[in-house]
Amino acid sequence: MSQHVAVVPQENLVETELSLLRLDKATIKFGGLIAVNQVSFELQKGDLFGLIGPNGAGKTTCFNLITGMYEPTSGVITFRGRKLNGTRPDKIASLGICRTFQNIRLFSALSCLENVMVGAYLRHKTSLFSALTDIPPAIKETQALKDEAMHWLSVVDLAHEASRRSADLPYGSQRRLEIARALATQPALLLLDEPAAGMNPLEKEDLLLCVRKIRDEHDKTVLVIEHDMKFVMNLCEKIMVLDHGEEIAYGPPSEVRSNPKVIEAYLGEAV
Amino acid sequence: MFWGKRLGSVALALLGCLILQRVGLGLNSYFQTMLVLAGVYVTLSVSLNLINGITGQFSIGHAAFYMIGAYSAGVLARAFYVPLDKSLYSPLNNGFQGLVQSISPGFTCQLQPLMWLIGVMIAGAIFAAVAGFVVGLPSLRLKGDYLAIVTMGFGEIVSIIVRNQEPLGKSYGLEIKPTIPSIFLTWLLAVVCIAVCRNLLKNVHGLSFLAVREDEVASSAMGVNVTRVKVAAFVLGSAFAGAAGAIYAHSLGFVSPTNFSMDISFIILTMVILGGSGSITGATVAAVVLFYIPEWLRDLKTIPMAGFVGAIFATIMVVALVKRTLDGFQEKGRKTAMIFASIGAGIVMTIALRFALKGVTGLEGSIDGNKLRFVVLAAILVILMLLRPQGIFAHHEFSWKWVKGLFKKKTAVSA
Repeated sequence: MSQHVAVVPQENLVETELSLLRLDKATIKFGGLIAVNQVSFELQKGDLFGLIGPNGAGKTTCFNLITGMYEPTSGVITFRGRKLNGTRPDKIASLGICRTFQNIRLFSALSCLENVMVGAYLRHKTSLFSALTDIPPAIKETQALKDEAMHWLSVVDLAHEASRRSADLPYGSQRRLEIARALATQPALLLLDEPAAGMNPLEKEDLLLCVRKIRDEHDKTVLVIEHDMKFVMNLCEKIMVLDHGEEIAYGPPSEVRSNPKVIEAYLGEAV
Repeated sequence: MFWGKRLGSVALALLGCLILQRVGLGLNSYFQTMLVLAGVYVTLSVSLNLINGITGQFSIGHAAFYMIGAYSAGVLARAFYVPLDKSLYSPLNNGFQGLVQSISPGFTCQLQPLMWLIGVMIAGAIFAAVAGFVVGLPSLRLKGDYLAIVTMGFGEIVSIIVRNQEPLGKSYGLEIKPTIPSIFLTWLLAVVCIAVCRNLLKNVHGLSFLAVREDEVASSAMGVNVTRVKVAAFVLGSAFAGAAGAIYAHSLGFVSPTNFSMDISFIILTMVILGGSGSITGATVAAVVLFYIPEWLRDLKTIPMAGFVGAIFATIMVVALVKRTLDGFQEKGRKTAMIFASIGAGIVMTIALRFALKGVTGLEGSIDGNKLRFVVLAAILVILMLLRPQGIFAHHEFSWKWVKGLFKKKTAVSA
C-alpha cells in the first residue's frame, strides 16, 4: 500500500513557511446580505483547525468559498501559493482540497466501495475511450483504484460494509464513509463540515480518534466546522469563531473558551 | 488470455448477428422489417438509458437525434450514392464476398451497399453527436423538468426545420434509393451499443457518470468534471441514436417527419423506465417487448365477449395476488414461485370464465381485437408500473448470480 501515501509536492521543500491555505479578507455578498465579511486566516501544514460559531455565522459559506462552490465577492484565497478565486470545484479537488457535507451527500444508490471509488477516480489516467472499449489498462486501473478505495474504507473501519448500499448504513457510518470518500481523493487539506452532527457520545469518541489518526498517520491538514463544543475543544489546536460572517475570536481552545465575545455570541448578552 | 477472451466475444457477437440475419432471410419481408426495427429500438432505448438512466439527465428529445441520423443518411444517399456496376466490384471485394457467401448465402448482392450503409451510419452518428453536443451544453445549467422541456423543444425545432426545408422533402418525406434492410448490421449496432454501456459501467469512469446522477454537487467536490460527463453522455447517446436513424432510413427506403414525432421519444423513454432506469438489460428487454406487443396484438382477430370479460377479471385477480405476494413474502424463492403460480391461475381462470360466461345474456357477441391493441398495451404499462414502479429489472443487470438469487430459499443479503 506504499503507493497510497499522499504525494508531498516538491515545491513545499522550497517554501520557507509551511503555509497551506490562506484566506485574505475573503468576503461574499448575496444581494444585500454579507454572508462572510473580511475573514482572514491561515492554515499551516498539519494543523487541526476548528471553525465554530452560532447558526448562520457563515461557516459553511466559508467552506463553499474555499472549495469553489461560490466565488468570493472580494478578497483572495490561496492554496499552496496558488490563487483559488474562480477555480472550478473539481479543479480545486484535484489541487488537493476535499470536503464532506453538513447534510450528508453520499451517492445513495451506489455501494460504499463505489462511493469511495468516485473519490479515487480523481487520479485516473486512462481515457474515456479506453474505458468504453474495456482494454487492459482501463481494467487494471479500475482494479487499482478499487484496492485503494478498500484501503480508505478500512481506515474509517468500514471495510466490512464495502458492498452495502451507502443509503442503508447507519448515520454515524455514513459520516465516516463521507470522510473515506474525501480521503480517497488524497487531499492535502481535508474540510469536515459538522462531522459529529447527530452522533451519539460513543460515535463521537470514535470519530475524534479517527480524525486524529488521519492527521497523524496520513499526514493531512484538517479544517473542522463543528457545533459540539466539547468535541471541537478536544480535537482542535486552533479555533476561529465566526458570528454574523465576521471573525470574533481566534486562538487555542483554552483562550477561545473564556473569551467574553464568544460567550456572548453563544449565550446572548448579559441582562 | 485477455485478448483471447475478447476476440472470442467479438466473434460470438458477429456470429450471433450473422445467425440472426440467416434466420431473418428465411422469413417473409414483414418479419424481416420487424427484426430490423426491433434492433433499432434496442439501440435507441439503450442509448437513451445512457443519458437518462445512467447519467440522470432527463431527456425527452431522443427522437430528434434519431431523426438527424436518418435524414443525414437520406440526404447523403440522394447526393452521393451511385449504384455500382457488377463489373466495378474490386477483386478484394469479390474475395470478401466469396468468403461471406460461404458463411451466409444471400448476402452477396448486399455487400457493396453494405459498405455504403456502414459509412452512412458513421456519418449519421457524427451529425447526431454534434447535435447532442449542442443540446448537452444547456444541460450543464438545467436539471430535471427544465432540461426535459429544453430537450423537448429541441426535438420540435428539428422536426419543424425538416418540415419546412425543400431539400429535406418537407412534410412529404424523402425517398431513399438503395433499400438495404440489413438485420446483421442493425443488430451489430445494438450489440456494440450494449457493449459500450456495459464496459462503461464496469469501469471506474462509469462511476463518475453514476455519481453525477446521484449528486452533482458532491461529485464535483470529489473532483468529477460534471460538465465533461454530461456532454460525454449526450454525445455518446445521440451518436448511437443517429447511427440507428441511418439504418432505419436505409432499411425502409423512406423517411418522413411523422416517423420521428414526439411520441417516438416518449415510447423510447417508456422503454427505459419500464425496463428499470439505469439497467442496460432492462432497456434491452423492454425495447423488444414494448416494440413487439403492439405488433403482436395487431394479429388479434375477433375475441368472444365472454373471453374478454373473463380476461379482465383474471387480470384483476392476478394483479391483486401479485401485489400481496410482493408486499407479504420475505423469502425470495417463494416469492418467485407465488408470482408464477398467480399468473398460471390467471390463465386458467381466463379460460374457465370464457366458457362459464358463454351463456350469460349480453356476452354472446364478439369484439374486434385489433381495435383493442393500444388499450391492452396501456393496461400492461399501468399494471407493470403499479406492481413494480422501479421497472422490470430495477437497477439490476442480467447475471446468472442474480437469476439464482430469485430462486433462493432465504432472503439474499444484498450483495
